[in-house]
Amino acid sequence: MARAQDAQSTLRALAKYGEAILEAHLRNGNRIPDSDENLGLIETLEHHRLVWRIGESEDLQLKKVLVQFLDHITESERRRYASAQVHILWQQLSELFEEYKEAKKRSALSDIDRLEGEIKECLADVIEDIRNATEAFATYINTGFAYITDLNLRIRENEKVIERAGRLITLFESFRIRELAEQAGSDAFLKRLLLRHLPATLESSQKNLSYALNQLRKMLVRMREDQRLSRMVGAFEAHFVNHPGFEPSIDHLDLRQVPEFLNTVAPFRIRGFGDIYDSADDLELIELAAKARTVPLTAEDLQVPDDVASVNFDIAGETEPEEDDPVEEAIEGLIQMLVDGHLGERTILASEALASTGLEIDKADWLQAIVSEIESLPDGDQQHIEVLYHQSHHGVYPDNVLVSDLTLKHHHAG
Amino acid sequence: MSNPLFERTVTALLQERVICEVSDDELYNYLLMPGNQDAVNRFLGQINRTLRQTSAHDAFVCAYQDVSDADTKEAIRQQFREVANNLEAFVQFLRLVMMLEANERPVLPGDKLSEGHILDRIAAAPALEARLRSLAEKRVFHTKRSDSAGQIRSVLSSLEKMGYLKPIGTSGSLYRATGRWSWLYDAMTFIQTHEGIQGAEDTDSEQMRLH
Repeated sequence: MARAQDAQSTLRALAKYGEAILEAHLRNGNRIPDSDENLGLIETLEHHRLVWRIGESEDLQLKKVLVQFLDHITESERRRYASAQVHILWQQLSELFEEYKEAKKRSALSDIDRLEGEIKECLADVIEDIRNATEAFATYINTGFAYITDLNLRIRENEKVIERAGRLITLFESFRIRELAEQAGSDAFLKRLLLRHLPATLESSQKNLSYALNQLRKMLVRMREDQRLSRMVGAFEAHFVNHPGFEPSIDHLDLRQVPEFLNTVAPFRIRGFGDIYDSADDLELIELAAKARTVPLTAEDLQVPDDVASVNFDIAGETEPEEDDPVEEAIEGLIQMLVDGHLGERTILASEALASTGLEIDKADWLQAIVSEIESLPDGDQQHIEVLYHQSHHGVYPDNVLVSDLTLKHHHAG
Repeated sequence: MSNPLFERTVTALLQERVICEVSDDELYNYLLMPGNQDAVNRFLGQINRTLRQTSAHDAFVCAYQDVSDADTKEAIRQQFREVANNLEAFVQFLRLVMMLEANERPVLPGDKLSEGHILDRIAAAPALEARLRSLAEKRVFHTKRSDSAGQIRSVLSSLEKMGYLKPIGTSGSLYRATGRWSWLYDAMTFIQTHEGIQGAEDTDSEQMRLH
């Protein structure tokens, strides 16, 4: 009675501290840190003889019996050794089939019944273990062996797992399902297991396993590269410590031997001119040109009024009269006169026309404005104006032409 | 017919940018297609340049085809000089990150670096604080800030300016490592070989071979 009570109390303790015990098993290598917060847990486990430790200062370790139990309930043990388990089960299965064949030969009905039951159970176990075995590899890929902090150990573990996966693939390939299926007799359930479920599981497991193997190999390559880089960083660090102020000398480098990916180019900007020669771009260019000029802010611009007495909104349809530009008016008048032929056969000098207007404008601007205005005229009007440029070549840069005046005349088109 | 993606890719390459999945995923994906690589290479070939991948195959760079010209040599020297002059600081930074993460894996393209995370780790380990202080005194990361948070920010933002990190989100405290690290490791490997710098493991194995 007392023994039963003790056992119940142990089970209750396990239930009470289940979370902490599982944490220790799954994430802490079966160790329970000797800290104040674990005091209750440690006392209970010690009371039930479920932990041990070497010295007082060491962390407590879960006892083997508890670890085995935890392995069982978390299925981690089964998963870890699933590949070995599959092999054993497959052997068992082959033996069972031998016995089954024998029993059928002798028509031992009760043995046939028993063996059919055992074969079914064994087959179900094989299927489950095949799944478990391949799932274990997926776990390795997901964790990336991150639980192992030392890179060398991690690489070694990865190599081991690759080896294990390779063995499992070989094992799967050695299965002769057809042969077994032929011995299955007339049992429909057994046939279904052998001809449908087992091949399907095998096929998907092989596929997963091949993928896992590929990923594991990639991971190994990456880890080895990490290791190389880590060693390189360490080598440089040690070199800088041993040779204070060290700077790699590069001036004597024979650049013919520079690996091509290292001789990266010096930056240069790829720029071009806006295409003012193609009228298709005009709209965009005009917009850009309009925004290009930067007007320096004056003190007045910077003054922000403290408040505004009132705000007037535009009335719909209201138009803002634009002030007339006297230069534009004068040029338009002159051009119109030329187009209409009011001058007859006479000519007029642009500079004289400017003088007659009395406008105070730079001559160069005046000439430029006239040329622009003429160029913006429709073709029909443009051909009624004949322009003669008074020009001379620049003394220093003979390619440059200096225009001093324009002679304008009505031209009889056609 | 102009091709905007081609134009952006070539322009980025000629601007000495290292194109990777983190820095320019669109251009990187464009360059992953062999046909596009050919088109870019055909163009670059006409101006004495060529498309190259880092040895880890995670970033593209533009390289000179012929380096015999004096200006070209000077341009390459200038790049090496930048790496050589800042190498000690980079090595210290890499070692600091490896110590923070308690693993032997250096920063790799795609890795996430969080200012807050680094600060937490450093706050828990005074030895790392000293390393950070020393790092913040290096010319390339130099800052007048004396607090760890300010020093980390300065280091990370310097790395961002140099193209080694790309900020994630708008907080400015989360970064992702770019393919420029791959290029740096290639450059370091080249320097290591050229200068005959041996690691502890290399020396050990050499000694073992001699016995």
